[in-house]
Amino acid sequence: MLGITDPQIWVAYVLCFVSAIGCVIYGILHWND
Amino acid sequence: MGVSTPLLGISVLAYMMVVFYFGWLGYKQTKDNDDYMLAGRKVNPFVLAFSYGAAFISTSAIIGFGGYAGAFGLGILWLVAMNIIVGIFIAFVIFGSRTRRMGANLKAVTFPELIGKRFQSRFIQGFSGALITVFMPLYAGSVLIGGARFMETALNIDYNIAILILAIIVAAYVITGGLIAVMYTDALQGVLMFVGMGILLVLTYSKLGGVTEAHQALTNMAYLVPDNLAAVGHTGWTTMPAFGSPTWWTLVSTIILGVGIGVLAQPQLAVRFMTVESTRSLKRAVLSGGPFIFMMAGVAYIVGALSNVYFFNTQGMISLEVAGGNIDKIMPEYINSAMPDYFVIFFLLTLLAAAMSTLSSQFHAMGTAFGHDLYREGIMKGKIGKTINVTRAGIATTIMISVVLAYILPPGIIARATAIFFGLCAAAFLPMYSGAIFWKRMTRQGATASLLVGTFASLFWLTFIHAKEATALGISQALFGVDTILTGTWTLVDPILVATPLAFLVAIVVSLMTEPASKEHIEQCFKKN
Repeated sequence: MLGITDPQIWVAYVLCFVSAIGCVIYGILHWND
Repeated sequence: MGVSTPLLGISVLAYMMVVFYFGWLGYKQTKDNDDYMLAGRKVNPFVLAFSYGAAFISTSAIIGFGGYAGAFGLGILWLVAMNIIVGIFIAFVIFGSRTRRMGANLKAVTFPELIGKRFQSRFIQGFSGALITVFMPLYAGSVLIGGARFMETALNIDYNIAILILAIIVAAYVITGGLIAVMYTDALQGVLMFVGMGILLVLTYSKLGGVTEAHQALTNMAYLVPDNLAAVGHTGWTTMPAFGSPTWWTLVSTIILGVGIGVLAQPQLAVRFMTVESTRSLKRAVLSGGPFIFMMAGVAYIVGALSNVYFFNTQGMISLEVAGGNIDKIMPEYINSAMPDYFVIFFLLTLLAAAMSTLSSQFHAMGTAFGHDLYREGIMKGKIGKTINVTRAGIATTIMISVVLAYILPPGIIARATAIFFGLCAAAFLPMYSGAIFWKRMTRQGATASLLVGTFASLFWLTFIHAKEATALGISQALFGVDTILTGTWTLVDPILVATPLAFLVAIVVSLMTEPASKEHIEQCFKKN
């Protein structure tokens, strides 16, 4: 996937993006707490 | 260096003037001890997130770990995931909210003071302050060296003078402006770093033909791994090292777990949770904190690894060969040869910002640990007034220690200082800090035992067992005639995997065996304000 064959690496690569985007979504959802 | 020195000099000067302006604003806004130590407890969430990130990410993270990715590949991306999930989300939302609330309840202004007041122990506050005073200058010294090396190569300034210039510039606004100056200059430097790294990511992928194409080219280069690296577990730049190999242990135990978990108990970062006015501010800070870490660490490691494709396409060599075997030179070599001149100048400013933002936080944290926690509370038992000047003297003293260390320590020791400090903080502080804010039954004796066991187990493991430090220090060799007193895999296991669980265990067992604190005190610590 994405030119990377070792799942241990592409999972890390995708997790970096997902967790960064997750932080943005969390911040927006809780902005007016 | 392909760029013109006068143009770079003017850029650096303009950048310094803006930094000094922010430092001066901090000085003008500092009215009392709370302002100087905690930026008045009402910092904007964006400033918190960017100053936390900029303090966390130093030159060594971009150049040192970026170079590591150039040599060993993308396995270090697990550290980025850890830094975002543990270092931002868990740190801000779970640790941060309780730290802020307890700090306000107990009127604590430093990390050691928070722990000391929670357990009603001047010893814990003084000992924690002493630990930071002794070991943080090592970490600050290594960042100082990184910044000075940049000034030496980019501006043609003598290296020894560069150390002094950098220390004096940062000291000037930290000593006068306190944490307000530190956090606002950090946030400014963070913005510069964010833009610089964003451009670097886009330029790199576009130069190599796109995301998948670049990764595929890197995957296809696995046969080029040098024999000496393959022998210690290197299997390619888009695969994890061989399980259980020396490279795997270093990556997983020292880098991913050591730095990834160690960040939770960094005094200069934890104190920032006490600078905002509410839990809501911490949640809002997560929004910009996550992307910031991704743009710093994530981009540095991806670009570091992909530099191999660029160098192979243009020179037929892997990055490590181009850098003459020195991993610290991989990123500078790549930036200088692959990037346009205008960007080289901008990137050099990015690196200077990364060094200065980390240095300013270290200077403030170790100065307050020495002046406030160790001297005022630990040694003088609080008998001297709460004046800012005692803290200022503490900051000036610890800066001088850092500068001396930067001059006298050999490069081999100093490069490991970041990982050593993170590991030591995890073992000494994390069990005690976690217990302080999550476990009402934790006792003063449990906290004291955990602090001492974590500290000394970590130092013992570093001195006698973990090969990288034990061999360099030479104490084991002098006493016992062997580099390490254990052999085999044990010499590869980072102290964090041994000392931290041990300190957690001691904290729990001793707490359960001793009398808990009074109900009134616990209510005072944990009440919602």
